[in-house]
Amino acid sequence: MTHTATITLTVNGQRLTRTAGAHLTLLRWLRDLAGVTDPKYGCGEGVCGACAVLLDGEPVSACLVLAAQVDGAEVTTAAGLSGPGGIPGPLQEAFHACHAAQCGFCTPGMLVTAAALLADGRIRSRAEIRAGLHGNLCRCTGYGPIVDAVEAAQEARQARPDPRDHLGRAPAGHDAPRPRPAAGPERGR
Amino acid sequence: MFIRPFGYERAGSLADACEMLRERGEAAKVIAGGQSLLPMVNLGLVQPEVIIDISHAGRDDDGAAARGGGAVPGGAVPGGGRSGSDRAVAARSREIGGGDGYLTIGALVSHARLAGDPAVASAQPLLAAAAARIGNPRVRSRGTLGGSLAHSDPAAELPLAMVALGASYRVTDGRSARDVRAEEFHLSFLTSALAEDELVVSATVPALGPGWGWSFQEVARREGDFALAAVAVLVRMAGGIVAEARVAVGGAADRPLRLADVEAALAGASPGEIAGRAGPLRGLSPVSDISASAGHRAHLCAVLVRRALDEACRRSQEATA
Amino acid sequence: MTSAAPGAPGRPGGIRTSKLDELRVVHQALPRHDQAEKIAGTTRYAGDLAFAHMLHARLVRSPVPSARVTRRDSTAAAAVPGVVCVLFGEDVPHNTIWVDVPGQTVEVAALKASMEVLATDRVRFHGEPVALVVAESEEALTAACELVEVEYEELPGVFDPDEALADGAPAVHERGNLIGEWRIDRGDADAAFAAADVIVEGSYRTQFVDHAYLEPEAGVGWMDDEGVLNLRVATQVVEHYRDVARILGVPESRVRVIAPYVGGGFGGKEDMTVEPYLALAVLRTGRPVRMQWTRQESLLARPKRHPMRLRYRTAARRDGTILAHSIDITADSGAYAYLSALVLLYSSVHACGPYRVDNVRLRARCAYTNNPPTSAFRGFGGMQVVFGYEAQMDQVAARLGLSPAEIRKKNALARGDTLPVGQVIETEVLLKDCIDAVLDRAGAKPAPSGPRKAVGRGMAANIQSYGRLVWLNDSAAAWVGLQLDGSLTVRCGVPDIGGGQASSLAQIASEVLGVPMDRVTVHFGDSALTPLAGTTTATRQLLMSGNAVYEASVQLRDAVLGAVARETGQPAGGLAMRADGAGGTVIAGPGLRLTLPEAVLICRRRNVPAEALGTFFGPKGQPVARDLRADRVFPDFTFGAHLCDLEVDIDTGHVQVVRYIAAHDVGRAINPCRSPGRSAAPRCRGSGWRSWRRSWSRTGSTWPRGSSST
Repeated sequence: MTHTATITLTVNGQRLTRTAGAHLTLLRWLRDLAGVTDPKYGCGEGVCGACAVLLDGEPVSACLVLAAQVDGAEVTTAAGLSGPGGIPGPLQEAFHACHAAQCGFCTPGMLVTAAALLADGRIRSRAEIRAGLHGNLCRCTGYGPIVDAVEAAQEARQARPDPRDHLGRAPAGHDAPRPRPAAGPERGR
Repeated sequence: MFIRPFGYERAGSLADACEMLRERGEAAKVIAGGQSLLPMVNLGLVQPEVIIDISHAGRDDDGAAARGGGAVPGGAVPGGGRSGSDRAVAARSREIGGGDGYLTIGALVSHARLAGDPAVASAQPLLAAAAARIGNPRVRSRGTLGGSLAHSDPAAELPLAMVALGASYRVTDGRSARDVRAEEFHLSFLTSALAEDELVVSATVPALGPGWGWSFQEVARREGDFALAAVAVLVRMAGGIVAEARVAVGGAADRPLRLADVEAALAGASPGEIAGRAGPLRGLSPVSDISASAGHRAHLCAVLVRRALDEACRRSQEATA
Repeated sequence: MTSAAPGAPGRPGGIRTSKLDELRVVHQALPRHDQAEKIAGTTRYAGDLAFAHMLHARLVRSPVPSARVTRRDSTAAAAVPGVVCVLFGEDVPHNTIWVDVPGQTVEVAALKASMEVLATDRVRFHGEPVALVVAESEEALTAACELVEVEYEELPGVFDPDEALADGAPAVHERGNLIGEWRIDRGDADAAFAAADVIVEGSYRTQFVDHAYLEPEAGVGWMDDEGVLNLRVATQVVEHYRDVARILGVPESRVRVIAPYVGGGFGGKEDMTVEPYLALAVLRTGRPVRMQWTRQESLLARPKRHPMRLRYRTAARRDGTILAHSIDITADSGAYAYLSALVLLYSSVHACGPYRVDNVRLRARCAYTNNPPTSAFRGFGGMQVVFGYEAQMDQVAARLGLSPAEIRKKNALARGDTLPVGQVIETEVLLKDCIDAVLDRAGAKPAPSGPRKAVGRGMAANIQSYGRLVWLNDSAAAWVGLQLDGSLTVRCGVPDIGGGQASSLAQIASEVLGVPMDRVTVHFGDSALTPLAGTTTATRQLLMSGNAVYEASVQLRDAVLGAVARETGQPAGGLAMRADGAGGTVIAGPGLRLTLPEAVLICRRRNVPAEALGTFFGPKGQPVARDLRADRVFPDFTFGAHLCDLEVDIDTGHVQVVRYIAAHDVGRAINPCRSPGRSAAPRCRGSGWRSWRRSWSRTGSTWPRGSSST
C-alpha cells in the first residue's frame, strides 16, 4: 500500500511526471499538480461533464478516475484539440462559428465529449448528437448552438476531408498552420 | 472534491485483491471503474483507508511497470510466484466469451464494450440494450460489469438484466470460486452476497434462444438518470400463445425482482390476453424518495411490464416468422 | 464628461444613434472576442488561478436548520498538521454582512438586511457558516473541518412562509418573521368584482430553484505590495469590495475585487459568496488563499429562487376584458433576508402581467423560515408571478370560450397605458407582435406520436423590467484611450458572466471610433483599475455600461476630430473617423487622409487627451413606500411570448418537449448571434423549473443528494 504515487501521464502530447497523494483524482492531478486547468470542477459526481477528458481516447469524468489508476495513460483535454501553436482544431472552429460557448465553463468538457462522439467518422443524426452529449450540462446556451456546432463539424469534415484526425492532430507533413477564426479583439488582463 | 487521503494498492490479479481484502478488512474498498465508488468518496459518504485497484488485474503488462515507464504506484504490484490459474481467472475477468448457448462476460468489461460488442448484441441483445442505457458515455467508458453487480443498486440496469436472464455469477475469494445465481446475489440496497474477501469474476447468461423475444424498458426523469422503474422481459411465443416468459422489475424493491407469478400467469396467453394476465403486480415494495413516490413507482412498473411484454412478444413472433 | 436621460421620452438610454442602417460593427453577428480562448480552453476562471505556497480555506457549516450554538472549540482542529488557523465569529473584525442594495447606490434603509459572517450563538439554516478553517492543503482542511467542535441545542424551526406568519410560529429572528410587505390598491376592485361576468380563482405554488451554473463559487485572495487586499472571485458584483472593507474594518480603498470571466451567474453570484471568507483568511495569514465551494455546498447553502404561494382572483367581462385582479403573494425568504424585499417588489410590480388591468388589490409578504435563504435569480421575482397571471388568463379564456392568444391580445398593454403601480408605459409594446410571431412560427399543433400519447399546447406572455429601480441612482462609467499605434483600450468595471458583456462593449467602441475589433482590448471587472460600471444584474449592464462606453467613445472621437480640424484648418464637421478596410483606422475629410497614429500624435502636440471617461446615469425617481404608487419604478419594460407543444405519455407521465418557440422584443441586438442563446437558455431553465425534482423538504434539513437533484 502506498499513500503517495509517482504518476506519469502524457497530457496533450506532453509527458508529465508528478509525485503526490495516491488518493488524488485525475481532475485534481491535472489541475493542482500539472496546471492543466481546462477540465473544470463542476460537481465531483460525474454528473455535469465539466471535467470530461479523453483517457486513451475514451471520454471519462476526470473527477471519477484516480490518477494512480491510469499511470502511463494518454490524456487529451480541450486544449489538446488545438493544433500546433494553438491553431483551433476543426471541432473548435465549428464551436467558434456557431457561437457554442457563452460563459464557456462547460465548453472544454463539451469539446472532448463531442470529439469522442465523432471519432469513428460515422455521420450522426441530430438526435444522436444530442444523445451523445447527454451528461454534459450547459446552463447558458440551451444546447442548440452546441448541437449545431457538432453537426457543422462533421459536415465540414465530410465536405472537406481534413488530414487532421478528430483530435486536431496533423499527420507528419500536414501541420501547416491554418488561419485563426475570424479575428476578435484582444482581451485585457 | 474534499477527499480524506487513503492508501492505494494495485492488485495484479483478483486473487491478490482478495488477499489484500482479507488483510485490510472493512477499511478497504475495491475499485475497478470507480463510477459508483468515487462519487461516494468525493461526497464523503464513504471514507476508505485503502482502495484496492483491480482495474489492471490480468493485464498482459501486469500493471504499471510497462505503461509509460512511471514508477509503480505503491511499488507493490505482486509479480511472480502466483499460480497460472490466478492469471487465467484474471484474464477471464477481461473477456467476453461464449459457446454452447451461453455468454460469459468478465467482470472488468466496461459498459461501453458490453453495449457495443457484436457478439453480445447477437447472442444476448437484452444485455447490450441494458448496458447502453447506463448513465452517460463517460460512465460507460469506465464503469464495469463487476462493479455494477457488486454495487447492487436496486435501480441499476445490469443487475436487473441479469436477474431476468437467470444469470449466474462466478465469484472468487482467490482460493476457490463459487457460482451464485443473480437472484440470490442481489440481497438488498447496495448489499450483495459477496463475502468481505470475494470479488465477481464473471457473469454467465444463456444466449437468446430460438424464438425468444426480449424487451428492456425504463423510465427516468432525464436521460442518463437512474431509472424510476425499469423492466426486463423475455418471451417465447409458440403457436400464437406465450410458451415461456421471464419478467423482472427494477426500482420496485430493495433489489431487482423476478415476478414468478406473473410469468406463470402468462403461460398460454394470447397476445390479446397478455395485459390482463400480467394483472396487478404483486410483491412489489418500492420506496418513496425525492424522485418518485412508491405508488408512482409501482404504477410505472405495471405500465412498463405491459409495454415490455408487447415488445417482447412482437420480437418473438418476428423471430419465429 | 457625462450624460443623463432622466425621464427622456423614447426608449430610455437606448444607444442613441439615429443611423441604425449605417451600423458596421454593432448589430453584426461577429464572433465574440472571448470565444477563441473559451474554445481553446485557456480562459482562466476564478478557481483556475493558483499561487505558489497558496493556502486553502473551507467553511464548517451548521448541520441543523435551527439551533442555539452552545459551544465551539477549535483546539483539535487547530492541532491538525498543516492547519494555519481556525476562525469563529469573534475573530471577524465586524461580524456582519450588510445586504444593502449592492453597488454604488444610496442606502435604502427600509430594505437593510444583515447576517453574521460566521454564526456565533444561533444558526438559522442547514448550511450556515460557523467556522472558517485555513490550511496548507485540502487534505488538512478535510481532516480539520471534521474536528471543529460545535455543539448545537436544536430549536423548533418553521419551514413554510404562511406558517411562519401565523401567530405562535417559532421566531426565526427576534424581530419577527415578516421581512417585507408591499401593497397595491388601484381603482375599485370591489366594484369591478361586483360587476364582473366571470370570476376565476386560482392558487399557485412555485418551489426553490438553484441557479446551478456550471462554475461553483470560487476565488483566490492575496495581499499586494501596497497593502491592498485583492480578491479574484466569481461574482456579478465587483462593488462588494465595499462590503468586504466594512467587515474587515479597513478603508474601501484597501480592498480590490476582480471578476474574471464568470462561469454563469443568473443572480446566484449577485450576493457575496466566498468573498468575506477569503478576505478574512488572507488578512489573518498574509498569504494567498484559495476557496472553492463544492457543488454540494453551493446547492445546500447559497441563496435560491424564492418559492412563492400566489393566490389570484380575477374578474372579467364576457368579452374577455380583464376588469380586476385581487392578488395575495407569500414568499419564502429562508433564514436571512438578502434581497428578498426587493425581489418581492419586482413580483408585485409585475403581478398583473403584460395586461391592462384598471382595478387591482395586491398584498405581498415575504417571511423568514429555517429554509435556505433566497435572493436574486434571473427575472428577480418577475418569473414566479408569470405562473399566476398566465394561468388566470387561460382559465378566463377557457370559461369564455376564447383562445389563449385572443384573450392575451385583447388585454395587451400598449404604449401610454398605466401599470397598476402607476408607471406609464412610454415606449412601444410589441407584445401582440411577439404573440403573432410565435403563432405563425408554430403552425398547427402536431399529432401525437403514438396511441397512448397526448399533445398539448400552451402559450404564455410576460412583462419584464430592465434596469435598476429608479431611486437607486444607478450609473456606469467607462474609459476609452487610444494607443500610439492606433489600437484602443477600453476599461469598464463590468463583470462578464458569460453573456458577452465585455465583447458588446468592444463592438460599441469599435463602431463609434472606427477601430477594427481586433485592435480593441477590453479590461473589465476590476474594482480598482476599471471605472465602476455597477452590477451585472437586473438586465441593466448593456443599458448602463454600453451607454457609458458609447459616451466615452463619442467624446474621444470628437476630441480627436477637433484636434485634427485645428491642425489642418478643416471644419471638424467635415471629418470622419472610420476603419480603413486594411486593418487600421483613418481620419478622412475633403482632401485629407490621416492614419489614426498620425492623429494621436496631433492630439499629443496640441495637449488634447486621446482618452475619455464617460458616465451614464440611469433615469431617476422617488423611492416607493409600502403602499406602491409611483410615476416610475423601473427605467422601462420589455415583452415576450412563448409557445410550447408538449407530448405526454399518458401511462408514465413522461413529458417530451416537441417544440418551443419564443419571441422577445430585444430591441436592436448588439450581436444578433448571441441573442438566440440568451433566450434559449432561460427556456431550458424554465422547463427545468417545471420538471426537475424538489430539493428541499419541509424539514429544511435535506442535504441535496447530489447535483442531479435540482
